[in-house]
Amino acid sequence: MNRYQKTFQLLKERNEAAFIPFTVAGDPDLDRSEAILKAYIDGGADILEIGYPFSDPVADGPVNQRAAIRAINAGLKPDTFFSLISKVRNYSEIPFGLLLYANIIEHVGVEIFCRKAADAGIDSLLVADLPPEESDTLAKAMKDTGLGRVFIISELTPPERTSIICKHVDSFIYVVSRLGATGTNSAPSDSIKETITKIKSVSNKPCAVGFGISTPEHVRQITATGAEGVIVGSALVSLIEQSKDNTDLINKMKQTVKAYKDGTRKTQ
Amino acid sequence: MKKGYFGKFGGMFAPETLMPALEEVERAFKAFTNDTSCMQHYASLLKEYNGRPTPLYFASRLTESLGGAKIYLKREDLNHTGAHKITNALGQALLARYMGKTRLIAETGAGQHGVATATAAALLGMECKIYMGTVDIARQRSNVFRMNLLGAKVVPVDSGGKTLKDAVNEAMRDWTKTVRNTHYVFGSALGPYPFPTMVRTFQSIIGKETRQQILEKTGSLPHEVIACVGGGSNAIGIFSAFIEDKDVILTGVEAGGHGIDGKKHAARLCKSKHSRPGILHGSYSYVLQDENGQIADTHSISAGLDYSGIGPEHSYLSGIKRVNYTYATDEEAIRGFTALCELEGIIPALESSHAVAYTLKRSPQLAKNQTIIINLSGRGDKDIFSVADYLGKSI
Repeated sequence: MNRYQKTFQLLKERNEAAFIPFTVAGDPDLDRSEAILKAYIDGGADILEIGYPFSDPVADGPVNQRAAIRAINAGLKPDTFFSLISKVRNYSEIPFGLLLYANIIEHVGVEIFCRKAADAGIDSLLVADLPPEESDTLAKAMKDTGLGRVFIISELTPPERTSIICKHVDSFIYVVSRLGATGTNSAPSDSIKETITKIKSVSNKPCAVGFGISTPEHVRQITATGAEGVIVGSALVSLIEQSKDNTDLINKMKQTVKAYKDGTRKTQ
Repeated sequence: MKKGYFGKFGGMFAPETLMPALEEVERAFKAFTNDTSCMQHYASLLKEYNGRPTPLYFASRLTESLGGAKIYLKREDLNHTGAHKITNALGQALLARYMGKTRLIAETGAGQHGVATATAAALLGMECKIYMGTVDIARQRSNVFRMNLLGAKVVPVDSGGKTLKDAVNEAMRDWTKTVRNTHYVFGSALGPYPFPTMVRTFQSIIGKETRQQILEKTGSLPHEVIACVGGGSNAIGIFSAFIEDKDVILTGVEAGGHGIDGKKHAARLCKSKHSRPGILHGSYSYVLQDENGQIADTHSISAGLDYSGIGPEHSYLSGIKRVNYTYATDEEAIRGFTALCELEGIIPALESSHAVAYTLKRSPQLAKNQTIIINLSGRGDKDIFSVADYLGKSI
């Protein structure tokens, strides 16, 4: 079993959903980014969703775009990224998902990128601007290097397309809780339950819900829909942006993740 | 060839939330172009409302002053709203209404596409929001006011280089949220399939008219057709009618800014060192980027050419060597601008001035019995502030 399968099986036995915090690698700088990822793990994260910064992230809102610019300015590039991931991998065996944009992979080279990502300890890739139609070359390189694939399904995805996407997924299905870019400005939409039912009718792969989830109460609501995972991104990234200095930031990130994680326990 | 590709360039590199919308646009565009009553309505608007066909004008004094080839201007500046952009905006707005959409959004650099979309929205009674970088809002402020007069909301974009690329990012974000009632009117032959094909189709009327007009006037095809290239819609519009005519030289002129050795330019196909194939805004094409794959900011005196990417069909036409791509610097563009003002009484857009600038160098190399056509894509009233700044004058 790979790391994802182990994690989802264990959580099922515990009657919990996976809590999946997101951060942009290198934000606000390389050292603190490493500390934040470790704090997520210490706070009880079941899976990490790590963003590779891109200058023009069209699927992300302003909070994550500003985080990407901070990370790029702090020196995040392919080499520093892979060494950051290796350090965090030495710290933990939970699954690491990587979220990025196609131009970064294209620039590094598809085979080289997949090899280096797998060697550093990444378990899956979600390429925000690479639908299944355009992913043949990448899919082959990912298979060769043992990387799992993650794709997005939204409330707009028609049933036939849902089936096709589910067949392309190995690790988990990323269900977007509402339309639009990432961000914290709204509560989860009522349609999530329907979207998950639509997916569950054609696939038994784990569903993790993200976009716009910002409070422990949201996490509880999503967990109640039967989703196997809950992703929180911009709400955590905002804490980095708001922190004037780092004295309490790392501890604050850990405590916040702990509060979110509590929301994924169904027995409570 | 794979769907949506020009050779290896193009594709549909879009977030999943947009994929159903892109498929809907693709289906609707096919149905729309096969529907005689829709196309008749579009054709009548182009004629009665837009003022097409635009004239092909023999620029006798410019020709005489250069002493070389005969120079003709395809007067796209005489379109309603002042540039070729309205031809595409009207087509896409009609398509949007055909799909049952009630709201239009668009990006704009120079403001011409924003004005064109705002115009089409007013004409068809649709809601309209235009995204525009704050650098462009400052240098094209007369167009911002025009959009407001037409009832559109202009949203300032303050991220990145605050120009066209950043406006596209914001417009795409809006669209991922509002796809149910909104059509994104891409202004250039850019973006994910079907946009590059659709914009080319709507703009190809420029080439069809030009080909017929030059044959009527001179009895033969031109020696060379010259157009400026930002995203590349006016260029692909005029080139499309001549691509099969192998003897006709086609030349695209990019923004050379301060020169293409540094970073202050927008030369993607002129083999500047930061340009390489990559993925930006939905398609695989040449993109200016840094050594780590982050998209580079660009510079041009002309807001409409100030963009890191280029329409995928241009990358293809460059690769097969059917179109030559060259550049004109800011300084050369100003010379082209001034020449057309003083010799022909036409104030050209700074974008189009790049095509004029290349012609100033090119025409003297050709014989007097040869013919050059410049696609004069827009008029330059919007640019008087930028030109005054450049010349150190206050207005």
